[in-house]
Amino acid sequence: MCDACGCDLKPAHSHDSKVVEVHQSLLAANTAMAAKNRKHFDTMGAVVINMISSPGSGKTTLLEKTIETLGGDIRIGVIEGDIETDRDAERIRAKGVPVVQLTTGGACHLDAAQIHKGIHLLEKEKGGTEIDLLFIENVGNLVCPATFDLGEHHRMVLISVPEGPDKPAKYPKAFHSSQLFVITKIDILPYFDFPVEEATAEALQLNPELQVMALSATSGEGFEQWLDYLRKLCN
Amino acid sequence: MHEMSLVQGLLGQLQQLAAEHNKSKVLTVSMEIGPFSGVVIDSFEFGFGILAKEISLTKDARLIIESPPASYRCCGCGKQIEEEQRPESCPHCSETLFSPEGSDDLILLRVEME
Repeated sequence: MCDACGCDLKPAHSHDSKVVEVHQSLLAANTAMAAKNRKHFDTMGAVVINMISSPGSGKTTLLEKTIETLGGDIRIGVIEGDIETDRDAERIRAKGVPVVQLTTGGACHLDAAQIHKGIHLLEKEKGGTEIDLLFIENVGNLVCPATFDLGEHHRMVLISVPEGPDKPAKYPKAFHSSQLFVITKIDILPYFDFPVEEATAEALQLNPELQVMALSATSGEGFEQWLDYLRKLCN
Repeated sequence: MHEMSLVQGLLGQLQQLAAEHNKSKVLTVSMEIGPFSGVVIDSFEFGFGILAKEISLTKDARLIIESPPASYRCCGCGKQIEEEQRPESCPHCSETLFSPEGSDDLILLRVEME
């Protein structure tokens, strides 16, 4: 029994306790850092796209092909996020554009503080201060990256044909928070049961404002639409 | 499992609050987790259960989570529909497109400390 008032409420009850009203987002620190990053990107004059998808959906291949076709007109840079290895950065570096590899050492997503470091690392790379279009290739994961604003201007979510058309319904947050949905690897549509219209409709049900396109970085089908989208962003 | 890193952020914030108010023990932590936050409440509780025990400040702390309901606005007639799950079609006009409405944030509401 409590000595002060005789009540039975122990140990949760205390007469020395103080209730502090906080009403602050757990993501506040990340959001504040993301705002700083966005300002930094604006000062650089770079448009920034955060790419979110499962592992193996073709983000790096899409970037390789994009650099090959647009690299002459638009100065592209890349921040790569992976749990381990710099293999993706090596692939991008081979295309001759400034790139930084961030390894999270186990964490399933990039956050705004990591991107802040990434910007400063990128500035040390050749051409790293003169970028028109910066891609952030997030850790391959359709769940966790969706929660963290990195300071990007646009967010895109990718699904490859082998993954199946039900991903939007299963992973709604990535689709709620994106402006663009890209279906990749459409050159292998004949071998998979992937109704493009169904996947599109599911995604639009979650986010009616989502722009949707389907392409193959291997065959080039649908690629012109993607390049037009990027050109418009950079104008 | 980004819930673990969110819990780590929460514990950092609690340590800061305790220092500001000169307190050494957290009794209760009240959180609001929005329906579109992408956070699994069970995983958040699980992470809190493990990580909070590692710090003397929070080892006996109780976590209280409020989760406000989701709602959907019909893209056809504009009426608001309160449902846990996205409705198949609008009961008023049979439209199938909806804009989800509701918080996607995680908010630390209040902390009781001594």
